Amino acid sequence: MGDALVAILLGLPMTLLVTAASFAIGLVGGVPLLLGLRSRIRFVRLAVRLVIDLIRGVPPIVWLFLLYFGIAIGSFRFNSLVAAIVGLGVISSAYLAEIYRGGFATLPRGQFEAAQALGLGRATTLGRVLAPQALRTALPSMATFLLSLLKDSSIASTIGVTEMVTAATVFARQNTATAGIVPFFLAAAVYFALSIPVAVFARRLDTRLRKAL
Amino acid sequence: MNAPLITSSLELATAGVEISHLSKSFGSHLVLDDISMSVEPGSVTALIGPSGSGKSTLLRCVNLLETPDAGTVTVGSQTITAGQPVKDRDLLALRRQVGMVFQSFNLFPHFSVLRNVAFPQERVLGRSREEAEARALTLLERVGLKEKAHQHPARCSGGQQQRIAIARALALEPSAMLFDEPTSALDPEVGVEVLAVMRELASAGMTMIVVTHEMQFAREVGDHLVVMADGRIIEEGVPAEIMAAPKEERTRRFLSAVLER
Amino acid sequence: MSLVDYLPQLGRGLLLSLQLTALSVLFGYLIGLVLALGAASSKWWLKWPAIVVVEIGRGIPALVVLYLIYFGLPSVGILFESLVAATIGLTFTAAAYSSEMIRAGLQSVPRGQFEAAAALGLARRSTFLRVVLPQGLRSSIPALMGLAIMSFQATSLAYSISVPELMSQAYQVGNLTFQYLGVYAITGLIYAAIAVPATWLSVWVEHRLARGAA
Repeated sequence: MGDALVAILLGLPMTLLVTAASFAIGLVGGVPLLLGLRSRIRFVRLAVRLVIDLIRGVPPIVWLFLLYFGIAIGSFRFNSLVAAIVGLGVISSAYLAEIYRGGFATLPRGQFEAAQALGLGRATTLGRVLAPQALRTALPSMATFLLSLLKDSSIASTIGVTEMVTAATVFARQNTATAGIVPFFLAAAVYFALSIPVAVFARRLDTRLRKAL
Repeated sequence: MNAPLITSSLELATAGVEISHLSKSFGSHLVLDDISMSVEPGSVTALIGPSGSGKSTLLRCVNLLETPDAGTVTVGSQTITAGQPVKDRDLLALRRQVGMVFQSFNLFPHFSVLRNVAFPQERVLGRSREEAEARALTLLERVGLKEKAHQHPARCSGGQQQRIAIARALALEPSAMLFDEPTSALDPEVGVEVLAVMRELASAGMTMIVVTHEMQFAREVGDHLVVMADGRIIEEGVPAEIMAAPKEERTRRFLSAVLER
Repeated sequence: MSLVDYLPQLGRGLLLSLQLTALSVLFGYLIGLVLALGAASSKWWLKWPAIVVVEIGRGIPALVVLYLIYFGLPSVGILFESLVAATIGLTFTAAAYSSEMIRAGLQSVPRGQFEAAAALGLARRSTFLRVVLPQGLRSSIPALMGLAIMSFQATSLAYSISVPELMSQAYQVGNLTFQYLGVYAITGLIYAAIAVPATWLSVWVEHRLARGAA
């Protein structure tokens, strides 16, 4: 059991790398999508909405296979790690744009009107008045999404990224006689342990916000 | 409203309400401090006072939506003593005798108006569906809302919802009715419809305890006025007399604040 | 052979994906309801086991759940066929998530509803079954619809334990034709063709419920 735990923990940094990198891509990538959703031009709004829904409508595993096996431009191909990060990053951008939008949607209309009445420009209104408030209400959802991304990073194992699930599978295969259910059980336990701090953080944020509102 | 008396088809068996030495705390805050009061069968008691004075809590203790810490509540022949374990059967028996109307109506949004009034009769009085719905229709007609019977409450105005809530409570043939600020959530012109129904109910001889800010209603309809502040009864008596010449300084301040609005 | 010739094969896979979705949603939501009632119970021996099961179900990736059941359990003598293993695993995940949604729905029922029922003298049983539960379930409908869409997408993970659903079929077709880009693009579009309109439907339902229409 000790060997199995060591083997799985060796996969942990890769799990964290995939999660963190794709979340970072999403944090940034969600912004232009959000701006598109809030555009004054109806066509842009509808087009961006369709793109976001399409990205979210395709399962993560299909995205990863599409990028890893499907993209070949000349001699260029993604290696499995980059494919996983880019794929989950694209998905994160769509989900985070939607979460940002939800944050803005809960803002009272009076905030927008007050900023307008004060003669603040569109950019100032959005960037300095609305966005900070929206981000605050969006934080619990963002934490929850980070958790689901952590779990989705396990899908990277299907294209050969050597993260925790791959580590568990490899260990099970190399120790068929002795390993049994243990490596998978340990991997599950590590995911569960990782999810606790984020879940506690999200819950605390949630109650604090509810008190503040 | 020139509808016939809403209660003409009801068996009106009114009961008195007796509250004695009632106390209640929320945490370290004493909300009700040794309250005793007596409501004669068939009379209307108006309960007034500043917000936080404990009047709603007192009302909610009568049907045990709040559990008092000490004292007794008697409705008709049913007495509940605080501190003693209350059997479910006794609790339900007490609540079946007492109807309650809330500030926020609290109709069941997933039922039609008709089902709102009929469903409790089926469950609480064991009436058949036909009987309960026939009775519900009669009551809805009496509060002027028969045409709304098959709509959902969300389609009704606040004043209509409150009249439906009154019909729902009356359908169970209570022997006393509690009103917790029944018009506070309504625009004045709509509140009038609700007050009209309540006036009729009073003149039909229903025992009523009404928490309200409607001073005119309290004066004209109330037999008895109870003024509360800080969890105590500071003054009580004939409404018109108290309003004309309050004995207590706090009563005077409260009345002038309410009347200035 | 062009990719079009493989569409029937993908269609057969899709059919299995949909069946897997239906089963895991049906059983998952029923178990989710039981777990939600357990987690809301005042009895600790009902409450805590329910909460533990729910948190485990939500804390572990669905893929790991599938591996545990399909590759792990045989070592302790429990052997499932891949389709059964996938159904059990996806049901477990759906149950854990749906129970939280149902619990949130039940909690959203206003206190006034309990008070009105109590004041009318309704017994606890009828209050819960006829007043609280219908309203709670109603307000959790949009979230449960969203979860059903997630469950449909999650069936693609069953590929990894060789259930011949849509993703597995796509993988096979890719290996036969070497047209990976085309195959996975088509497969992605098939998933999206179901998930996207379903999402729109759930948004529409949510708006309708929010407006309080019957």
